[in-house]
Amino acid sequence: MHDRDTQLGGDVLVILRHPPHGSSWLREGLDAALVAAAFGQAVSLLFMGDGVMALAGGQGQGPLGQKGTAPTLDMLAMYDIEALYLESGALSALGLNRDALQLPAQPLEAADIANLIAAHRLVLTF
Amino acid sequence: MASTAVERYLQVGERSVPLDPEGYLVELDDWSPAVARAMAEEEGRVLTEEHWEVIEVLRAFYARFEASPAMRPLVKAVGQSLGPEKGRSLHLMRLFPDSPARVAARLAGLPKPANCL
Amino acid sequence: MILHILNRPPSSSLTYREALASMGPEDRLLLIEDGVLGALPSQVRHFESVTGRLFALREDLAARGLDGHCDAAVQVVDVDGFVQLTEEADKTVSWS
Repeated sequence: MHDRDTQLGGDVLVILRHPPHGSSWLREGLDAALVAAAFGQAVSLLFMGDGVMALAGGQGQGPLGQKGTAPTLDMLAMYDIEALYLESGALSALGLNRDALQLPAQPLEAADIANLIAAHRLVLTF
Repeated sequence: MASTAVERYLQVGERSVPLDPEGYLVELDDWSPAVARAMAEEEGRVLTEEHWEVIEVLRAFYARFEASPAMRPLVKAVGQSLGPEKGRSLHLMRLFPDSPARVAARLAGLPKPANCL
Repeated sequence: MILHILNRPPSSSLTYREALASMGPEDRLLLIEDGVLGALPSQVRHFESVTGRLFALREDLAARGLDGHCDAAVQVVDVDGFVQLTEEADKTVSWS
């Protein structure tokens, strides 16, 4: 198994760039992360651009009862997906505060994002 | 995901419970312990106390996360609820041979795990 | 070196911002499909931060009648060049 406390790295980095609802991008990205984790890969998530909306607290179902993101976010820990990062500029661009997020994610500046990508064997963007 | 296609009906006492082509419930609300027993009986499985406690873990998992777990998270959930002795894939393989995550999800009345091996 | 691949034009998609924000100092950017519009002189300013590391796929340019219309700062590669860029890279990251 992998020791995640020592560095940024891992097997798979999934970059999530789309907000919840409105499209299937976010769900497909989370599904890809869950599949990789189910196969024993060390998975990290990076929430970028409007994708940081996926971390907002208090999310619910869509107006027609479409499934929300919150239960899936809660489930990540059961798949040992605990390396969560976000693009700090995107959070402030949306006027969101880290305290208002459902899950703690480590804010990264642009230079750190390049390092994060370099430190993973496979990078998938959604 | 639960399939909406009805392949056949499972007879549970007076009730006819629709099943999808892979034997999962079409309507998740149809589940009861009697349904689980009837499903197990069809396959020659006998449900012991150890089976039921795993089924309960699965139902709680689904109620909280709205998804059926793959094997690894199932092992973790069982370990958290029932202790490290039972939170091992060997224990689950013994209780639910073949594919524990799939077999146990079906008996627990959940959709087929999407992220399963 | 990581090869980033972008298939959206800066004129209608902001994906290029996330691609650029994710690039290290040695990384390269290859424009493909609709992304090749970014190689035109009118749009190439969006990619100033990767000058010298910006590529565009000739086949996608030609298909759009844009071969020969690229900004001089863009290095045009054919499919073989694409393969070579991929081989030189530690990995590729696709942005769409």
